[in-house]
Amino acid sequence: MNIISTVGLAFSSIIEHPLRSALTSLGIIIGVASVYAMLAFGDAAKAQVEESLNSISSRTMQVWPDWNRRRSSQSRPQMPFTEQDAAEMRNIPGVIASTGNLQGSNATIATDTNDVSGNALGVDADYLKALGNEILLGENITYADIEQKAPVAVISDGVHNRLFEGQNPIGQTIKVNNVSFIVKGVVTKADNNISFGNDDIFAWVPLPLARDRITGGNPFVRNHVSSLRVVGQLGADLNQVEDEMDVILRRSRDIKSGAPPDYRIFSSRAWRQQAADSTKTLSYILAAMGGISLIVGGVGVMNIMLVSVSERTREIGLRMAVGAKGSTVLIQFLTEALLLCAISGVIGLLIGFGVFKVTVDILKLTFNFNPNVALLAFSSSLIIGLLFGFLPARRASRLNPIQALRHD
Amino acid sequence: MNAQPLISCRQLTKIYVMGKTKLYALNNIDLDISEGEFVAIMGASGSGKSTLMNLIGALDQPSQGHVTINGNDISELKPKALSKLRNETIGFIFQQFQLLPKKTAQQNVELPLMYRTPRPSNIKDMALACLETVGLKDRAKHRPMELSGGQQQRVAIARALAGQPKIILADEPTGALDSKTSIDIMKLLIELNAQGITIIVITHEKDVAAYAKRIVEISDGKVTSDRLNMEAA
Repeated sequence: MNIISTVGLAFSSIIEHPLRSALTSLGIIIGVASVYAMLAFGDAAKAQVEESLNSISSRTMQVWPDWNRRRSSQSRPQMPFTEQDAAEMRNIPGVIASTGNLQGSNATIATDTNDVSGNALGVDADYLKALGNEILLGENITYADIEQKAPVAVISDGVHNRLFEGQNPIGQTIKVNNVSFIVKGVVTKADNNISFGNDDIFAWVPLPLARDRITGGNPFVRNHVSSLRVVGQLGADLNQVEDEMDVILRRSRDIKSGAPPDYRIFSSRAWRQQAADSTKTLSYILAAMGGISLIVGGVGVMNIMLVSVSERTREIGLRMAVGAKGSTVLIQFLTEALLLCAISGVIGLLIGFGVFKVTVDILKLTFNFNPNVALLAFSSSLIIGLLFGFLPARRASRLNPIQALRHD
Repeated sequence: MNAQPLISCRQLTKIYVMGKTKLYALNNIDLDISEGEFVAIMGASGSGKSTLMNLIGALDQPSQGHVTINGNDISELKPKALSKLRNETIGFIFQQFQLLPKKTAQQNVELPLMYRTPRPSNIKDMALACLETVGLKDRAKHRPMELSGGQQQRVAIARALAGQPKIILADEPTGALDSKTSIDIMKLLIELNAQGITIIVITHEKDVAAYAKRIVEISDGKVTSDRLNMEAA
């Protein structure tokens, strides 16, 4: 028997029992569909998680005063952060942006004709970079602007839209709490930050000017900032960076190592990592469930193949009498099991693909067809066919032709 | 005729062990069949004639003694070689026809050729030629269910012929047929014998054996009579 007639014979014996073949296939179809859908979903979730782990907010560490610090007459008052702290942290290896800012209460941002209520912040040149904001028009505040206390401001897209109605704002004058600034740039607000009410209304001005004229400052500490923000490079050891930030902060405020600090360093990478790990675990569990249904489907295939062998005992006996070798009969039945699983595998892949597509659309994940996952799911159906088809095929090949021919 | 017989049985013994008792299905049989013969092997049920047929057909192995078919001692052949021997040398005809019900007459006839190596290129033509020999060329596309019993047995004979065997081994070929159809089948076998094919018919019916040129009678695993049938010859 050559390959073509072996496959042809397998195919004809599959279609000679359409209902039985369909029911048998169902197990494999469901198995392959779920293995594919789960693996592909896990793959997409992994990509999503990696993106989240590499995002700028995941690489950001913020330093805030420790508001929950136990207070007593013995404990010394909280030390504010300074521009000096930010500048020192800028030199830590693996840091791409380090910034301090002064946050005031609500501010009124106005042109001659319009005004909006929003936020005004005193910032340095690293601030917008640290937030991941992109410059749409003009340019960012520079350290030279800070040095010279230049009266310039960068505004958010939201301010641009509300106050200038589509006109070019660069070089125009705005007033922040009645202090005049010349608009130097417009930026989009990166959308990966947690946001509140009028979160797209921002004016950023050089730190010293803000301190002197808008937000006010700590009268006892020069260069005071309300919080610090440090962004690590992609792939940098952020724990190492955080340790060095701690060393700088302890030194600048003279806290001995081991003594409780009066500040806290916040970062989101720990819980993001945790989320990534649980997503990974979940996708493994789902794939394992798919695998189990595939095995159950395989048992179904074996069952039907055993029925088929015993139903066709006389046929097998006859084939052997007219010259079929045992190995030919074995290959014949194995081919039948394999073909059944291969057809089921293709259908299962199509269904799994549909399920995956729908899941991706609902969860708004990035759709990404990974051929390796499809190949893995399909080959698992073939492996099931081989494994569970072997026993019935071997039983067929070992039949005694004399007894087989007398079988009723 | 060859000096060496086509089929040769020497001290052929087949023992079935049933618990503690040994059953001698065949007991020390010597039998030669030459090329071109038409032999009927006769016996009642349980006489051992089916066991003899299985051995002559290379479907079973003897307990003792030897069966040589076309120069090959079947005890010395491996399963693969036995398959090849059956495929190329022997055509089988069974009482219950043993046609594959879902295949057409032509596909049934093609069966032995499908298992031949190297595979002939003109399987279809060979099968049709065999169907023509048995007078059923116009039924090539019919399935066994659509044919009468006699026609089904003719298809089975065509299948036996398809491999161009030296021997046709027929086990009760008329057992499932009425007497008129039986006569047709036996006449067909005589025709094939006239073309040079060695025919061996296993039967318990005297009427069927009467068509053979030589009648071998078996009883209790032994040959009790081996004579030429003058009327047929």
